[in-house]
Amino acid sequence: MKNMIRNSLRTGIVFGIITVFLFLVGFTGTAANILADLLNNESAPPLFGWAPPMLNTVIFVGLIGLWAGASGASREKDVAGDPYGAAVLGGGIAGFVQGLLTGLVMALVGTLNERGVMMSKYLAELLPAAVKQAMLGFPPPGAGAFYLLFLTAAGALGGLATRGLGRGGRRPREAIRTWAREKVEVLPWVQSLRRSPAVKYAVYGILLLGILLLPLFAGQYWNYTIGTVGIYVLLGLGLNIVVGLAGLLDLGYVAFFAIGAYAMALLTAPTPHNLMWNFWLVIPIGILLAAVTGILLGAPVLRMRGDYLAIVTLGFGEIIRILSKSDDLSDFTGGPRGVPAVAGPDFFGLNVNSGIAFVYLIFLSVLLVIFVTNRLQNSRVGRAWEAMREDETVSRAMGINTLTQKLLAFAIGAAFAGLGGALFASRNQFTGPEDFNLMVSINVVAVVIVGGMGSIPGVIAGALVLKGLPEMLRQLEDYRVMVFGALLVVMMLWRPAGLIPSSRRKMEIDKDAGLAETAEEGRGK
Amino acid sequence: MPMLDIHDIHTYYGNIHALKGVSLTVEEGEIVTLIGSNGAGKTTTLRSICGLQKPRRGSILLHGEDLVAYKPHQIVEKGVAMVPEGRGIFARLTVAENLDLGAYIRRDRRGIQEDLEHVYGIFPRLKERTRQVAGTLSGGEQQMLATGRALMAQPRLLLMDEPSMGLAPLLVDAIFDVIQTINRKGTTILLVEQNALMALSIAHRGYVIQTGEIVLKDTAANLKNNETVRKAYLGIE
Ligand SMILES: Nc1ncnc2c1ncn2[C@@H]1O[C@H](COP(=O)(O)OP(=O)(O)OP(=O)(O)O)[C@@H](O)[C@H]1O
Ligand SMILES: [Mg+2]
Repeated sequence: MKNMIRNSLRTGIVFGIITVFLFLVGFTGTAANILADLLNNESAPPLFGWAPPMLNTVIFVGLIGLWAGASGASREKDVAGDPYGAAVLGGGIAGFVQGLLTGLVMALVGTLNERGVMMSKYLAELLPAAVKQAMLGFPPPGAGAFYLLFLTAAGALGGLATRGLGRGGRRPREAIRTWAREKVEVLPWVQSLRRSPAVKYAVYGILLLGILLLPLFAGQYWNYTIGTVGIYVLLGLGLNIVVGLAGLLDLGYVAFFAIGAYAMALLTAPTPHNLMWNFWLVIPIGILLAAVTGILLGAPVLRMRGDYLAIVTLGFGEIIRILSKSDDLSDFTGGPRGVPAVAGPDFFGLNVNSGIAFVYLIFLSVLLVIFVTNRLQNSRVGRAWEAMREDETVSRAMGINTLTQKLLAFAIGAAFAGLGGALFASRNQFTGPEDFNLMVSINVVAVVIVGGMGSIPGVIAGALVLKGLPEMLRQLEDYRVMVFGALLVVMMLWRPAGLIPSSRRKMEIDKDAGLAETAEEGRGK
Repeated sequence: MPMLDIHDIHTYYGNIHALKGVSLTVEEGEIVTLIGSNGAGKTTTLRSICGLQKPRRGSILLHGEDLVAYKPHQIVEKGVAMVPEGRGIFARLTVAENLDLGAYIRRDRRGIQEDLEHVYGIFPRLKERTRQVAGTLSGGEQQMLATGRALMAQPRLLLMDEPSMGLAPLLVDAIFDVIQTINRKGTTILLVEQNALMALSIAHRGYVIQTGEIVLKDTAANLKNNETVRKAYLGIE
């Protein structure tokens, strides 16, 4: 009991600090705008006297409260007697503490605001209007009291909900899983659906069809986004070979992307060279150039291991960008201003809307690359990569020429990036040094890690989440980096092996998790 | 001409002089054992043969051809396979995948399939566990896997680094039986061991290495009765 209360208190403090922080950086307002988009309630009539912006703030804070309550209540394994009472109490305490912190800060900030203190001088987000919105139409002390009561109630409700879902006060995730296992998966029709391969293929088929039809309805802006996601899938699949399969940490992957893009730009654009080659001719050239660069860079560098490789490749990526930016080379590369009027593909005389057609071109490339990756993964080469990642010395003793295999992985990964770059420059009809900064490399690494190393569906999911989601949540613009970081942290906790992990990595991480759990239980006793 | 003729090799790790002029020979069809205490240079000798650690001086002739010029993967192709120290299995791959990697240099599908059956014949426990992840095998099973994997390369010379390490006495007996069986079927074996008694009881000849130098060489039977060997390596007064 004492233990439970201590846990709830601690949870409440953590959630309280988070709530206050989100408020102080103005995130509650942003979240309200996002909710408005999602719920589409911008012009809804006021509820309890709250117009939609305030209402959405309340909803958002309420959601955090529910979460706090759920975590606050779900710690204690076994409370004898009245489990619901204990859960409500635990959640309520967490919510109360959270509400106390939030309410105090709100009341303070609100009061200062009313006295005319310009807090936005110190914290840019605390504009008078924003603070007013957070006050929900109450006078500051009233707002504080409201947050206290509201969060306490939300916490209690959150506690109740977790207990209702899972017996024995398990964590919510576990509770939902158990519930699914015990209640849903035993249903006869679920079982038969699960076993039938037809269903699996039907689901894949519908999914694929949906994706294939999407560009026809998506409109220009969304097609642009879909194209970007597709190009990141290409990059992710390429880096996945280098990092996920061969185990080489390449942080300068953007260099190969740039090479593909510049090949396309310099060979097809009217300036600076006026070569005006055909798009279809340049695509293979871009791929080849990137692959050759991969080999040229790889040959000296791949003898290094681990961290050194990461640092050297990182430097290489920057060198390529700086070279492309150089004024001295601008007659050759277009310099800082980049290369405009990069050619698009001509579809062999077909009269098609080029925006939509380009999305399909990217789709086609993605399918091709998926096919190649899949074949490689299941080949002798793929096996050699796996062995190498496991134990380099032993794989050499097995007769694997590790240097050749690494070069091959590097070259194939680079080739995919070259294709991506060529498509990217052509689609944008422009390329310039700023398209190839370090963030691109980091983003691609993140796509691979968030998606699940070594897994093709994982890379697709990763690209969707990291490149697609921010577009869907345009409002997040200012917080992208913060949300990105938070997402990574949550990911690590929730899916340590990635969104859709490869079976091998999953196995490995599950094994570790199993050990950790046993250790935790041991300590609890 | 001996199958393997190592002549006066000097191998270094940076400036650590690990082998100070090791010479030894292995005749076709023999089991030769190399015994010595910790850090004597046994593993280093095997790594030198495999090309994983190149000697700075000396020669390693396999059928008269000097291996020092070749890369590890080329040496495997010449018929030298190794069961590494500490087994060195690929822990995250399955048993079948591990064995498959043993046959990495070969392309004769039918021959590989036959050898796979052969290995499963020697180690039935592996056959029951083909799809099990190798890291979850018991220590003894891992040793079987490492041995089977090396056999998949169809070696003419098999280098084994302490195959009995960490195994229960009963399993040690079993592994040494297998080594003898493999040898009778025509594979030449260079066996590194700390378990000198066992090694000397199945080997034809033996060498004793001490701080990077060969200090004794003789037939296995003579070494077993040798006063210094009995004291230092067999623990018999
Ligand atoms: N990678 C390395 N770097 C530096 N020194 C090494 C390295 N590997 C081995 N040595 C040194 O070389 C010497 C011989 O080592 P080796 O591994 O060949 O011994 P060993 O006879 O196999 O011993 P053990 O029975 O303990 O396996 C030792 O002194 C060891 O410290
Ligand atoms: Mg050793």
